[in-house]
Amino acid sequence: METNSFDAIVVGSGMSGGWAAKELTEKGLKTLVLERGRMVRHGEYPTATKDPWELPYGNRITEETRHRKPVQSRTGYPTPANQHWFVDDLDNPYVEEQPFDWLRGYHVGGRSLMWARQSYRFGPLDFEANAKEGVGVPWPITYDEIAPWYDKVEVFAGISGSVEGLHQLPDGKYLPPHDLNCVEVDFKKRLDEKLGRKLIIGRCANLTAPLTHNESPQRGTCQSRNMCIRGCPFGGYFSSVSATLPSAERTGNMTLLPNQIVYEVIYDNAKGKATGVRVLDAQTGKQTDYFAKIVFLCASALGSAYIMLNSTSSRFPNGFGNDSGELGHNIMDHNKPGSSNASVEGYLDMAYTGRRPNGFYIPRYRNVGKDKRGYLRGFGYQGRASRAGFNRFNDSSMIGEELKKAVQEPGPWNVSMTGFGEILPYHENYARLDRDKKDKHGLPLLVVNAVVRENERKMEEDMKNDAAEMLEAAGFKDVSVRSDAYHLGNCIHESGTARMGTDPKKSVLNKFNQVHACKNVFVTDGSFMPSFGCQNPSLSYMAFTARAVDHAVEELKKGNV
Amino acid sequence: MSDDMMQRREILRRVALMLGGAVSAPAALAILQGCSAKETPGGETVASWTPKFLTGHEALIVSAIASTIIPSSSGSSGATEAGVGAFIDSALAAVYPKEDQDRFKAGIPVFESAAKAAQAGNGKPFVDQMPGEREEFLKEYLGKALEGERDPKPFILMARELTLLGFYSSKVGITENMEYVAVPTAYHGCVPLSEMKKHVYWE
Repeated sequence: METNSFDAIVVGSGMSGGWAAKELTEKGLKTLVLERGRMVRHGEYPTATKDPWELPYGNRITEETRHRKPVQSRTGYPTPANQHWFVDDLDNPYVEEQPFDWLRGYHVGGRSLMWARQSYRFGPLDFEANAKEGVGVPWPITYDEIAPWYDKVEVFAGISGSVEGLHQLPDGKYLPPHDLNCVEVDFKKRLDEKLGRKLIIGRCANLTAPLTHNESPQRGTCQSRNMCIRGCPFGGYFSSVSATLPSAERTGNMTLLPNQIVYEVIYDNAKGKATGVRVLDAQTGKQTDYFAKIVFLCASALGSAYIMLNSTSSRFPNGFGNDSGELGHNIMDHNKPGSSNASVEGYLDMAYTGRRPNGFYIPRYRNVGKDKRGYLRGFGYQGRASRAGFNRFNDSSMIGEELKKAVQEPGPWNVSMTGFGEILPYHENYARLDRDKKDKHGLPLLVVNAVVRENERKMEEDMKNDAAEMLEAAGFKDVSVRSDAYHLGNCIHESGTARMGTDPKKSVLNKFNQVHACKNVFVTDGSFMPSFGCQNPSLSYMAFTARAVDHAVEELKKGNV
Repeated sequence: MSDDMMQRREILRRVALMLGGAVSAPAALAILQGCSAKETPGGETVASWTPKFLTGHEALIVSAIASTIIPSSSGSSGATEAGVGAFIDSALAAVYPKEDQDRFKAGIPVFESAAKAAQAGNGKPFVDQMPGEREEFLKEYLGKALEGERDPKPFILMARELTLLGFYSSKVGITENMEYVAVPTAYHGCVPLSEMKKHVYWE
């Protein structure tokens, strides 16, 4: 039993788990990191340096992958270059009472290996909205309280971007911004002149310059290959595998065990504390209990909710820490109802070199300042301008030498952009367990039931109309607005299942991501979000995790947990 | 030894030359057994690879279409050098659902009879037509397909799309026609084409 005891246990090794591991071990805690998937060490990225002709089928997804990974492939992400990072859906089932895209990476590093690296702060507007509008529960924390933690994680991770002075999208500590290309530069000017809207370069976790610290000697600068999703042997972008886990490893305080499925938090009624976690070995089925003074759940919004819902006891008959009845509820994502495209005349003598792992960003302007709409909150757009490639000749009768010559010139410019809209927290959007249905490990299945509602649908109209308005204002041609059937989860930003708040009757966690009813358990993945802004959330998970660890260790020292 | 066998030996020798001497045993066997393997006026042969999805005869037609869309020329590779026929065969087997596979297969004999009936081909099957004859017919056939129903994609447009994908994801297709830099080190957003060695930057 002694060998199974640690100071701290971290469940999950993705974006949040990596940060928890680094911060806990650097503060001297002997820390066990449990990952349900296989081991991945920095550099172990099997396809990272493959040339395009080394990938089969022109890197198109195969029918076999579609068959094994029907949910994962709904997003269009899995290809022969990266499919090993996406779970086998047949082996990892869940129940969709409403269509819900649950994208997962079961391996060390989790989805921090495949993320799109967009890194934005939430601002005062976001932290104040719930309280002002009477939506969900108020955030128990202000922007000023989290700002220094954003500083800390931005500097360590290395975020590139431009300083803009926008209060709805606070500036951070940035490495130099990527270039906008010629068309994007003019798009920016025209949006500003004609509509007073900002277009900025995306803020992304790619090292456009060396890090400003020397804590990550294994990382080099971004090489503009734009193959990040395969894993980067240069360490050019931030992931747990390239950045936080190596830091944790160097302390000598981390024990990292892959293939360990945590399915329960062990609660000691007499002590009024969690004593550890219960684990199944994914390969052998062997059950083991691990013990620690504090537990960090970083298993993703649905993963952590699953573990808590599955941890029932006489004290917590409805799931661990679930006195409020909110555990598993209030699932959010970002609404992505379609992308807009336009063709651009001119600029034919200009192009770009290198492959930019980033695009432009149009920060939220709806319901900002004096703007008032018939719905709450707002949206941002992500997009890029580029020149068309050879596939513009797919539907053409041009053949022979004429075709070969034509392909040797870049095609016309086009612009595409996609809106990301805020989804409000609704108690009616939930995940629960079905104990009658079991997976291959004999564990109950998660059931998800979440949809967009009236506020989101009203906002969608603006998202589409505004995109068309902006592309037209810029003078672009053939503007088209596509409507895609969006399901929650499709933006891969699921969140909100164990929200934080001041009132234990209405929330699961307190302002330090600490379970109200069990102070030695912390949940720092997307579960904690009481509202979701329209910004990509990973940077916030990093900041809140670092802050929660700081608090946890202080409380541990004081004997409070 | 019959004339027929002599001819097959000659083909085998030529294929071996093309492949630098390395002809796989099954391929050699296929040739010696006189299955559909043969070299056409366009230079295509399936003898250097064994089709997985298509029959040898179908593979030859598809290879002939590919090399008519992207022909070889002096100093510049085409679909044949890039192995586009084999690419199409393996892609059909792996990345298309059954209904697309079936439509593709069903399209081949329709294409064949149209080619034979066309004036351009002087009554010859497509694979036996000279490059100029093939070009004339194929342009017309593509033109008709583009005017017709395109959802689901008809055979000839599928074949064309796969030809482009196969060629421009092959090593010769990419490196001869685009600026391919495995490790660019930096991104430059506004570069005059006049400063680029090749105008298309692979991305």
